[in-house]
Amino acid sequence: MYQINNLTFKYPKNKENTIRGISFQIQDGEIFGLLGPSGVGKSTTQKILTKLLDRYEGQILYKDKDLKSYNKSYYEEIGVGFEMPVHFSKLTAEENVNFFKKLYKTNLDTDSLLKKVGLYEDKDKKVGEYSKGMKVRLNFVRAMLNEPKILFLDEPTNGLDPHNARIIKEIIKEYKEKGGTVLLTTHLMNDVDELCNRVAFMANGKIVEIDTPKNLKLKYGERKVEVEYREGEGIKKESFDLDALKDDEKFIEIIKNKEILTIHSKEMTLDDIFIKVTGVSTDE
Amino acid sequence: MNSFITLFSGELNRMRKYNILAAGIFVALLWVGVLFFTDIEDITSMVPLIVFIDATSMSMVLIGATMFYEKQEGTIKTLLVSPIGKSEYILAKIFANISSNVLTLVLIYVYAKLFKEINLNFFGLLGASILIAFFHSLIGFIMTYNTKDFTEMLMGMMKYTFIFTIPVLLEQIGFIKNETIDKILYIIPTKSSSILLQATGGGMDNWKTWFAIIYLILATLGLFFIVWKKFDDFKIKESGE
Repeated sequence: MYQINNLTFKYPKNKENTIRGISFQIQDGEIFGLLGPSGVGKSTTQKILTKLLDRYEGQILYKDKDLKSYNKSYYEEIGVGFEMPVHFSKLTAEENVNFFKKLYKTNLDTDSLLKKVGLYEDKDKKVGEYSKGMKVRLNFVRAMLNEPKILFLDEPTNGLDPHNARIIKEIIKEYKEKGGTVLLTTHLMNDVDELCNRVAFMANGKIVEIDTPKNLKLKYGERKVEVEYREGEGIKKESFDLDALKDDEKFIEIIKNKEILTIHSKEMTLDDIFIKVTGVSTDE
Repeated sequence: MNSFITLFSGELNRMRKYNILAAGIFVALLWVGVLFFTDIEDITSMVPLIVFIDATSMSMVLIGATMFYEKQEGTIKTLLVSPIGKSEYILAKIFANISSNVLTLVLIYVYAKLFKEINLNFFGLLGASILIAFFHSLIGFIMTYNTKDFTEMLMGMMKYTFIFTIPVLLEQIGFIKNETIDKILYIIPTKSSSILLQATGGGMDNWKTWFAIIYLILATLGLFFIVWKKFDDFKIKESGE
């Protein structure tokens, strides 16, 4: 769907490039996670792909055509979900949704989507009276209302309680199953793990790692199994080589004869990989 | 075109909901109050003055108010990723603005016709008001592009008023009688605005009226091009540089 080649971008007031020659592709029907600490160029990359910034170097192909050759009709095909509220506070949710719907040729059944995200009952309330979580859900509805082919989501579950975060994630999965493509930017590695087919980690304007979450975990993780078991009055912990497990007599003896408390493969979490490849924690 | 109609009606709706239209009507009623308390029966010379102040100042203020609301609420971000052209966005704001000016004009004119004496060509006044409001709405865009908040924008507007509006007003009411100054004032757009409004009462030299019309049309076209061109920089800034 997108082919990005050697993309470089510098903000007019900055001395240094924010994006430094990145290349990657987003395949049709995948959820692609763009990850990294604040200020490394994720949002800038997203802004370039949503045509908010166009003075870039390098090449971006969308459906094999130069992105620069697309006019405003490009926005008929994409949906952009912002992290911060983007609605008129003195208008009701329904008035907001109806206003934005009229700007598009194609519309989704927004009543059904408002019901799904739990806002239908409050659609006649002014957005100014909404809680943070309600505004986040309304942002999501706004991004989806034109039935986009590609969805750009920035922290779509940030500020949501686990129940509503689950609903949003389920809708994203459904969207993907119907053939939709998603570019997801988030700090929540659990969401990435659950949703993304592939992820790219960015640091200092460059992509430092790109692969499926599973491959990354295998690449950075240790091929070990850690077993915690009861030994007499105490608890013991032992680590075993995952590849030699079936022939490891000690491991088999523990499994057979001991009371196992926990057993874990030592694969890395995406949080660990985030810290390792970007050099900072996910909170930053 | 469809987007323009949606944006235009959306602007009017928001001007109503955010009480911007109510503020416009309030100002119009203030002007009606001024006319009510004045002893002068024939207000032919006063109305162009009032329309001049309204079409210049209010146009700039209203553009700033609506755009800063959009900035503050983040709605500008989502509008920028919608299938709308920048001309549609700019024109929708200007025409919504003009609607407010026209409403003020109609209120003042109707009051004047019913309770005072007035001898102005209404359609001439309407046309002049639209042209002046269009030009000054564009000035409002330029100010909004270059300021961080509404207060800073209002300061810019005050500077514009002191430099461009007050000298013309002083000259119009006969406070400035110096011929050289009068000639210098032809350089600035507010002088043409004033000439055009006064011409609706008749007795204006033809060349002056034509000069004012051509000046304002050309200045409006030039300024529209600048506003249109600079919108890209504004887009970068508003998308969170």
